[in-house]
Amino acid sequence: MKERTVTVYRTAKKTVDEFTVPYNERTTILDALEYIRLQKDPDLMYRQSCHHGSCGTCGMAVNGEFVLSCIKRLADIPEDQAVRIEPLPTMHQIGDLAFDPAEFFNEFPDDIEYKRVSEVNTDAPVPRDMEHYERFESCIECGLCVTSCPVTEDWMGPAALASIHRMIEKNPDDADTWLDRAADKRGVERCTKDFSCSRVCPTGVAPGKRITLLGSMIKKREKARASEEKPE
Amino acid sequence: MQPMGNVSDTHVVVVGGGGTGAAILYDLVQRGFKATLFERGELTCGSTGRHHGLLHSGARYVVKDRAVGRECMNEVRILKRIAPEAIEANRGVFVAFTEEEEAYRETFEEACAEADIPTQWLNADELLAMEPRLNPTLRGGVMVPDGTLDAYRLPMHFFAGARQLGAVIRNFARVESFVFEGRRIAGVTVRDLRTGTDETVACDLVINATGGWAGKLAAMADIDLPITPAPGTMLAHQGRLVNNIIERLRPASDGDILVPQRGLSIIGSTQWQSDDPDDCTVPDKDVDFLTRAAIDMVPDFKDTKYHKAWAAVRPLAGASSTEEEGRELSRDFDVRNHGTLDGVEGMLSLTGGKATTLRIMGEKTVDVVCGMFDVEVPCRTADEPLPNYRQFFRHGVLV
Ligand SMILES: Cc1cc2nc3c(=O)[nH]c(=O)nc-3n(C[C@H](O)[C@H](O)[C@H](O)COP(=O)(O)OP(=O)(O)OC[C@H]3O[C@@H](n4cnc5c(N)ncnc54)[C@H](O)[C@@H]3O)c2cc1C
Ligand code: SF4
Ligand code: FES
Repeated sequence: MKERTVTVYRTAKKTVDEFTVPYNERTTILDALEYIRLQKDPDLMYRQSCHHGSCGTCGMAVNGEFVLSCIKRLADIPEDQAVRIEPLPTMHQIGDLAFDPAEFFNEFPDDIEYKRVSEVNTDAPVPRDMEHYERFESCIECGLCVTSCPVTEDWMGPAALASIHRMIEKNPDDADTWLDRAADKRGVERCTKDFSCSRVCPTGVAPGKRITLLGSMIKKREKARASEEKPE
Repeated sequence: MQPMGNVSDTHVVVVGGGGTGAAILYDLVQRGFKATLFERGELTCGSTGRHHGLLHSGARYVVKDRAVGRECMNEVRILKRIAPEAIEANRGVFVAFTEEEEAYRETFEEACAEADIPTQWLNADELLAMEPRLNPTLRGGVMVPDGTLDAYRLPMHFFAGARQLGAVIRNFARVESFVFEGRRIAGVTVRDLRTGTDETVACDLVINATGGWAGKLAAMADIDLPITPAPGTMLAHQGRLVNNIIERLRPASDGDILVPQRGLSIIGSTQWQSDDPDDCTVPDKDVDFLTRAAIDMVPDFKDTKYHKAWAAVRPLAGASSTEEEGRELSRDFDVRNHGTLDGVEGMLSLTGGKATTLRIMGEKTVDVVCGMFDVEVPCRTADEPLPNYRQFFRHGVLV
């Protein structure tokens, strides 16, 4: 196996530690951190769960890029480049690379559903007692979009707004109540259309597009309401 | 949801923040115990977060063991009721791709019937209509109520329930040793990684729910708990190719589970043995083997993109003992009371189980705890819906 030096941010020292890690073409940043924790420093703090990009716990900044450490491969970083691993900057830091995601999760309204109709084989027959095949939403609630967003004022952020847009797509009849929430002062109007959220999203949720769509729906609704009020 | 009132001032410490620890913790506080959970990393960072995410109807095990099959099926029914948001409630199909596999049908269906697992035979045309990407050489398949569970969000539902009822949850807090009073464990010493300090926490009982690490934790109390860590590899490709779990209609073996999850297809698994539960380095040969196994079942797998290969550790109960005394036996998992088995009071260890059976493991364990402390409160975890996993975070950041 080849070897590589990585630097890891350490909270206690307020600086970085350097480690040499073995790697092959599959080794990810998370694998490298596992190696460091198990071989060199059992107290290294970072979040992990699924190891395959489904749980959303393992977001980090690698050379300044916001990624899921479990799928970001060391081999994809050119060998002449250093590898700098830091925590996601806007999250509530608890130590080294770890953060507590409570603030992020608390932006999601209570009644956001986490499942949707499967997009695969939609014409295929389904078992008798089912209407359709279902699956989890694509958003894995990793918070990378929120971290990448340049808006500095306090607001709901791209992930929560994208989830509201998904609710409208799934339940168009309830659009009004969901639009009320998106039209909040902390909602759509804060977006500056930077679209870094969509670029950084590891699962193709396209939160930027969804916020823009919410914006047009809100405008359309305002117009409709205004014309209703004006007698012909 | 309300706790039954303070039926007990008994303080129970749970070590290990996987699905098993989560379910035990929830059951403990629901029955009125004071409970604290310690996890050395982030919650679910052990095997819990990393498995395939197959919600087992029990069909995979039923030919060998009817009781395990029945238990899984019962849990599937319960979990769909109490945590629907954590399950892609589609189906599983045990597909007969070969003549030999077709010949296994009768044995399989009979066993399922005996364990109350509903089945439906689909002939080749029906099955291909339902799953057009399956290898067209197939001969048919048996549909069962398998599904996909979210390996992170299902246990987080249990943690949410536990937190709502006042359980203390400490992540990044590693149990390093036990405090003894004679031959009785009276507390644990914990290293808090956030602060880099050690502290001692007194308790009336420790529950060892550390999965593959259970032998290591027990060794800290000089208890010999024979566990062989047996890691296994899984491989995810990009693209959802099927909606149902695809398995092979034959006795369970390697590379015979294909799980759709979100936009991924996950094939598993393999098994090797290791001295070290932390050793999860994926062998190259596993990736090749699993790729071929997936293509065998779903040829289009070869055109999908590699996403990730990773491994998780199974705690194989090694040298499984004959002492039945002091042991609450399920064929799938054991609750071992080290007081009666090893002469060390104040500690229970859990071995075995599956992600699917977390709730019943919690129930059986807390039944034992109730017996030890003369508490007569029945388990209610099967009856009350769990709060959504996001509710976990409504209680603020963990400290
Ligand atoms: C390859 C593979 C595939 C699988 N697929 C499936 C499947 O599809 N469906 C299914 O139902 N089951 C599956 N399983 C089984 C399932 O993964 C396990 O049964 C389940 O995750 C075990 O959970 P647990 O909570 O007991 O252990 P773990 O999740 O391993 O939890 C133990 C925890 O203890 C912590 N710990 C250890 N030592 C200490 C300490 N000193 N102090 C504090 N904390 C400590 C660890 O960090 C860890 O988080 C699979 C297993 C494997 C290996
Ligand atoms: S929208 Fe994308 S980047 Fe944002 S939380 Fe969801 S998965 Fe992560
Ligand atoms: S560990 Fe689950 S997304 Fe990376």
